[in-house]
Amino acid sequence: MSDDSSNALFEPKIIGFLCIWCAYAGADKAGSSQEPYPPNLQIIRVTCSGRVDPQFVLSCFQNGADGVMIMACHPGDCHYKEGNCRALQRQRMLLRILRQFGIEEQRCRLEYISANEGGKFREVVTDTVENLKKLGKLRHALPLDPVLSAAAGNHPASP
Amino acid sequence: MKIGIYLCGCGSMISEKICFEDVREAVGSFPDQPYLTVVDFICSGEGRTAFIEELKRERPERVVVAACSPRDHEATFRHCLSEAGINPYLLQMVNIREQIAWVTSSRKEATQKTIGMLRGAFYRVRLQVPLDVMTLEVCTDVLVIGAGPAGIKSALTLAEAGRRVTLVERTPSIGGLPMLFEETFPNLECSACMLEPAMMDVLHGEHSKQIELLTLAEVVEVKGSYGNFQVTVRQQARHVSQSGCISCGQCAAVCPALRSDGRKAIDFASDVSLPHVPFLDEKACLRSKGESCQICQDSCPAGAVALGQFGLTQSLELQFGAIVVAIGAGLYDAARLNGLGIATSSDVYDALQFQQMLSLIGPSAGEIVSKGGQAPASIAIVHCAGSLDQEHIAYCSGICCRYAIAFSHQILTRLPDCRITHYHRELVTPGKHSSELLNKLKEEGRVEFRRYENIRELALMPAVEMVVLCNAVVPSDAAGQLAALMDVPLDGDGFFQELHGQLDACQSFVKGIYPVGACREPMDIPTAVNEGTAAAALVLAGLRPGRKLEIEPVHAEVEADRCSGCRLCVTVCPYRAIAFDDENKKAMVNALLCRGCGACVSACPAAAIRGHGYSDHQIMAEIRGLLK
Ligand SMILES: Cc1cc2nc3c(=O)[nH]c(=O)nc-3n(C[C@H](O)[C@H](O)[C@H](O)COP(=O)(O)OP(=O)(O)OC[C@H]3O[C@@H](n4cnc5c(N)ncnc54)[C@H](O)[C@@H]3O)c2cc1C
Ligand code: SF4
Ligand code: SF4
Ligand code: FES
Repeated sequence: MSDDSSNALFEPKIIGFLCIWCAYAGADKAGSSQEPYPPNLQIIRVTCSGRVDPQFVLSCFQNGADGVMIMACHPGDCHYKEGNCRALQRQRMLLRILRQFGIEEQRCRLEYISANEGGKFREVVTDTVENLKKLGKLRHALPLDPVLSAAAGNHPASP
Repeated sequence: MKIGIYLCGCGSMISEKICFEDVREAVGSFPDQPYLTVVDFICSGEGRTAFIEELKRERPERVVVAACSPRDHEATFRHCLSEAGINPYLLQMVNIREQIAWVTSSRKEATQKTIGMLRGAFYRVRLQVPLDVMTLEVCTDVLVIGAGPAGIKSALTLAEAGRRVTLVERTPSIGGLPMLFEETFPNLECSACMLEPAMMDVLHGEHSKQIELLTLAEVVEVKGSYGNFQVTVRQQARHVSQSGCISCGQCAAVCPALRSDGRKAIDFASDVSLPHVPFLDEKACLRSKGESCQICQDSCPAGAVALGQFGLTQSLELQFGAIVVAIGAGLYDAARLNGLGIATSSDVYDALQFQQMLSLIGPSAGEIVSKGGQAPASIAIVHCAGSLDQEHIAYCSGICCRYAIAFSHQILTRLPDCRITHYHRELVTPGKHSSELLNKLKEEGRVEFRRYENIRELALMPAVEMVVLCNAVVPSDAAGQLAALMDVPLDGDGFFQELHGQLDACQSFVKGIYPVGACREPMDIPTAVNEGTAAAALVLAGLRPGRKLEIEPVHAEVEADRCSGCRLCVTVCPYRAIAFDDENKKAMVNALLCRGCGACVSACPAAAIRGHGYSDHQIMAEIRGLLK
């Protein structure tokens, strides 16, 4: 997938879904320390990583994102008990779907960030940007395919 | 649609890093031509006034505020919208300080990122709909289950604040476990004496009118939710009227039958039990064997004994706004500690049996005697019996070392020459006064402390004449059933699970149900008492007479005609907020219980659940806006 010639100039677009309780607070913490990180991540605040519908992730790729990050509370710390377990199950399922469309695993990353882990937040964002630069632009954006969306809507029960 | 975008410069914190002019130009090309206003320090008093004034003038239909983190000021700005007569949920915030200005080195990149995030928020806010805080009439009466130290303190605090409380206790008397203890840590105080004033307050104190005590009673059904629980309590007949009884004990004196603890079939629970009114143990009574004895009824000088209810229980249907659960804990069954090899001594007692032996009102009147009838010359006290043991109970029970040390003091006052050995894995005496008793023991050098790793090692210990086990504290045998009735989760060990272990320890996952005391975690008396008070405070803050309950409108709602009846959402919701209507085969969210996590919204395969304030449409629009 990589396209070495243009990589130096390529700036990946990344959408991050951050749960308000831990990950978003971790991003705020990174902000308070005022140490810069790459500007490629745009953040969508969600109540909990369990709110991240697989369709949201597919929609990001359909609309031209090069990467998606789901950031959650650490296992056991989800404010709503187990939303992050569901997020993990859904991310694993998404990776399988994405693979079928030739979208690399590194483009859909799940990370646990606590409210104190501003440093970790900065590191994973920086790391993701570097990885995606290496991977290059998403070759083909996902088609706006109703079948695909339906498949994602029908994700397995996660009790 | 008229949309107002407000940028805060935050002094120079933001404006220095982001070129507001470029932002203004870019925003000019957004659909509908939103207006953009810069208000410096928009969160300050002056900034808010300017913001509100302009909102009143411009009357935008939706508002975006780009400033600091919504974690700091979303509530502030929502409030401003309300003041300006705009529905507060028509606001979307963009965090351009923590997430852009403070972390982006290039001004150009920061400006671009700001434009992108504003576009996302702009697209999202257009789909936001006004949400209204709903209100609900509530009952402010409170049910307290369990009349140990935690439940008593909770009931008294609530009663003092004017609430009506029903205190349900399954045994015939109140006070809980400490009623068995002669001398407690940290200062060898008699706990029955210590608790007596509080118990008297429940029965006869200034606020006792507010408390209805139901002894020999258990909760058998709980329906409804916060503010409106419908509870069924089943109560066994006591056969002695609490108001009529003069505590003379005549009934017990004449009763020919014995119950298993050696007292009469009709008798006081103990010499110090409160309410100090006898009860009839039906199993022990001759009437249960078909005889027609009624000598107790005939000889009661106050006419307080009534045998008419024999064999009957009564069911009470009651209504409450909140429930405090204070049913205490249990002890790990010593029989499961096999391999202990204490066969050398037949005199093995668990902690409660030994408490009973130490008790002046116990069967031996406080004398320490072995089964053979003589005073033991040597006693082993085994700490951590089952605790801190991967084969049994992994956690430390937290209280055993402290009462074990109190045991030693009590033994030494009665049997000064007794050789005592403490076998312990760890020796834990937290609390500002708790090491005093331990230090005293060590200074006097009259007892021996030995550490062990595996409880099986104790098979090799020198023979002793009596063994006292400090069993692990485990969940009460009643916890599982009660939790299931209330649909409240237990934690991995079987204790009532807290909403948040550190910050919301006295709340359960079900709103309006507050687990406190040893049913939540093993603990000492002062902690249990404090938790009882804490739960009372939470109830008082949440349910107020004459005040309707406000329901946060950011919650989920099932669109009935799309619901296919798969029940997935019911299993997914961590707060049991979704009920299933079996008749119509549709799920329904109870807005009161929903905390708006969104788990059901993303789990529903039929896309039948709308997350008010964070719907799929809104988030999808935000995604498209960000990536345009
Ligand atoms: C051997 C031992 C020694 C201890 N020594 C000390 C000490 O020296 N100092 C100290 O501070 N702490 C001591 N503790 C700890 C102390 O006992 C607890 O902290 C305290 O009892 C907790 O109070 P509680 O109200 O939570 O529970 P409890 O005292 O257990 O009271 C619970 C009440 O609920 C009732 N109940 C149970 N199930 C139901 C039901 N389903 N429906 C209605 N009612 C129900 C019970 O009958 C009881 O009255 C000791 C504990 C043990 C086991
Ligand atoms: S998950 Fe959706 S379709 Fe299934 S019961 Fe719940 S609302 Fe109805
Ligand atoms: S949003 Fe969360 S709390 Fe509300 S009903 Fe759905 S799963 Fe339950
Ligand atoms: S609240 Fe953070 S993952 Fe659920």
